[in-house]
Amino acid sequence: MDKDIKISIKNLYKIFGPTPDVGLEYVRRGMNKSDLLEKQNHVLGLRDINVDMRDGEITVIMGLSGSGKSTLIRHLNRLIEPTAGEIRFGDEDVMQYDETQLRKLRRERMSMVFQKFALLPHRTVLENAGMAMDVRGQKTEDYEAEARKWLARVGLEGNENQYPHQLSGGMQQRVGIARALVSNAPVMLMDEAFSALDPLIRSDMQDLLLELQEELKKTIVFITHDLDEALKLADHLVILKDGEVIQQGDPQDILLNPNDPYIIDFISDINRARVLRVRSIMTQPDRDDIEYAGDITEKDNLETVLSRSKGDTSLTFRVVRDGQQVGALTMKDLTRALVPTEASSERDNRAN
Amino acid sequence: MATYDAVFSSLGLDDWCSEGKSDAPMSMAQLLSKAKGGEPAETSLWDLPFPSMDALNKACPAFPQSRELTKGLEEGFLAVKDSMSVVLDPITQPLSWALDGTLYAMLSAPWWIVIPLLLAVVFVVSKSWKLVGFVAASFVTLAFIDYYTYAMQTLAIIFVCAFLCVLLGVPIGIAMSRSDMMQRMTIPVLDMLQTLPPFVYLIPLIFLFSVTESKLYGIAIILYAIVPVIRLTNLGIRLVDKDVIEAADAFGMTPRQKLFKVQIPLALPNIMAGVNQTIMMSLAMVVIASLVSAPGLGVLVLRGIRNLELGVGLVSGLGIVILAVILDRVTKASLARINASQKH
Repeated sequence: MDKDIKISIKNLYKIFGPTPDVGLEYVRRGMNKSDLLEKQNHVLGLRDINVDMRDGEITVIMGLSGSGKSTLIRHLNRLIEPTAGEIRFGDEDVMQYDETQLRKLRRERMSMVFQKFALLPHRTVLENAGMAMDVRGQKTEDYEAEARKWLARVGLEGNENQYPHQLSGGMQQRVGIARALVSNAPVMLMDEAFSALDPLIRSDMQDLLLELQEELKKTIVFITHDLDEALKLADHLVILKDGEVIQQGDPQDILLNPNDPYIIDFISDINRARVLRVRSIMTQPDRDDIEYAGDITEKDNLETVLSRSKGDTSLTFRVVRDGQQVGALTMKDLTRALVPTEASSERDNRAN
Repeated sequence: MATYDAVFSSLGLDDWCSEGKSDAPMSMAQLLSKAKGGEPAETSLWDLPFPSMDALNKACPAFPQSRELTKGLEEGFLAVKDSMSVVLDPITQPLSWALDGTLYAMLSAPWWIVIPLLLAVVFVVSKSWKLVGFVAASFVTLAFIDYYTYAMQTLAIIFVCAFLCVLLGVPIGIAMSRSDMMQRMTIPVLDMLQTLPPFVYLIPLIFLFSVTESKLYGIAIILYAIVPVIRLTNLGIRLVDKDVIEAADAFGMTPRQKLFKVQIPLALPNIMAGVNQTIMMSLAMVVIASLVSAPGLGVLVLRGIRNLELGVGLVSGLGIVILAVILDRVTKASLARINASQKH
């Protein structure tokens, strides 16, 4: 299961203001965000971020607006320079890159998808999709086949010669994704890529992304403020608040063992049955003579299992992977997992 | 006895004042008061003059009069004029050649080549037959009333000057958009060029260049008309969507690629609006520049004013309006085409 670490961020700080270094000293001594703003007139962007992003996984960085998530993703390709800290890409230190190396990184190893699409309005869809190739100095004829292939893959066959303003938002973002794919970079940065789309299209796009990821196994860093989206996509979930990582890890773990009232607040509203998967709550069977009601896979979510059980809480299901049994799931465990974390009571207390 | 005598004596400057007594030429007022004879009566507080240069000069003859300021400025300019000419003359000489060459080419080519050629240009930039028809009718009318030569002279000057304005103005605008320092330094100059009455900068130009040279009016027109294209290029590039710029950076564009592939194409509607303004302002200035020997319809307007020839003045004025409408419609039509191709 352990994959290579592709991108690693260590002790990253970002402080906005006229003299960030001075601000950094105060922050290292423990000054918090509001004090820093009030007393030093500096804005704390990120504080002591440590995140490892693994090869071929989707790392989702989630937080509300102002939590620093967009700032964080822009550090990966150094669109924003950190105040202090280390950014490693594979074995290389991105902070040591000179201009040419950095450009090479952006051109060939990291592509980016933007919240507001950021397509070139004066270029056709085809030319937009081939932007990365164009930047590398290729002619339209050279990249046309590749661009057409990926445009077709994201469902835009026949739109190649249109202009971005002739497309709907969802279609424009498909161009944005095709553009990132055509660059053939191993890392894809997605900055709230689906936030500007309406819910139905958003869900379509998430499915498209998962489908592509199944096939391409890229390293994706995805920024979102939407927990449902985060849980749907994430292999590794990082939750940011006020520029700090408050919890990171397997999304199922975070859901079952939240360690911060902020996260509990967050997860109290979601449909646990849909998000939780069998693998995170299954147990190893202690006896051999259990009567199984049926086979389920570890990737199934609890909602599927619930509907199969038709509400009977005495059943036990066998969890199989590739025909082999890997565990068992009793409906009792399932019900227990669905009990919301004591968020509601805490929220009531606070309200009183 | 003048009002501010006491000021100078209290500062102990009496000696310095009396030294300069005989130097300064007498003003009319001094002559008059001398003719009247005797000291003027003690002035009341109500009549206290502002301590201006002239008032202080009355109290202390060594103090310079205000007319010496303008005189000094003139002398200073005349002193540096020759060395400035040495530098400016060769630099601006190509402008004379361009103007003379274009004027010669447009006037020596027969009308049945020039008019169709201009109509072809109109069609290429506007792709509108309606506009071509309007321009054709205008030219035919102007030619029919024997204003063809004047109109073509005016057009030739505008073409050269507007072209040079764009050639110089767009790079200046780009430089301004890239550096805030450059912008801070350029804007006062642009403000000055735009507000200074055009007659005023004709004066030093007359001193610098000979009135017989065509670059004299060329420079006057360019100085006046270059402002909008600079301003709007700067504005256009600064207004380019930040998200698109960020995308260009994220995909590793060099600053040069960013400029030519993103910034200039996206700023083009604004730049073209600047070009339209520049052309219109060249037309306005080419009329004023007829004062310094610019040929064209302006000469007729000037003749109308000087000799009170009402008919000539009105008809040539109308001719200018027709040219203005043509130039405006054609540039607007091409602007509309650019806008249509890159709607957001």
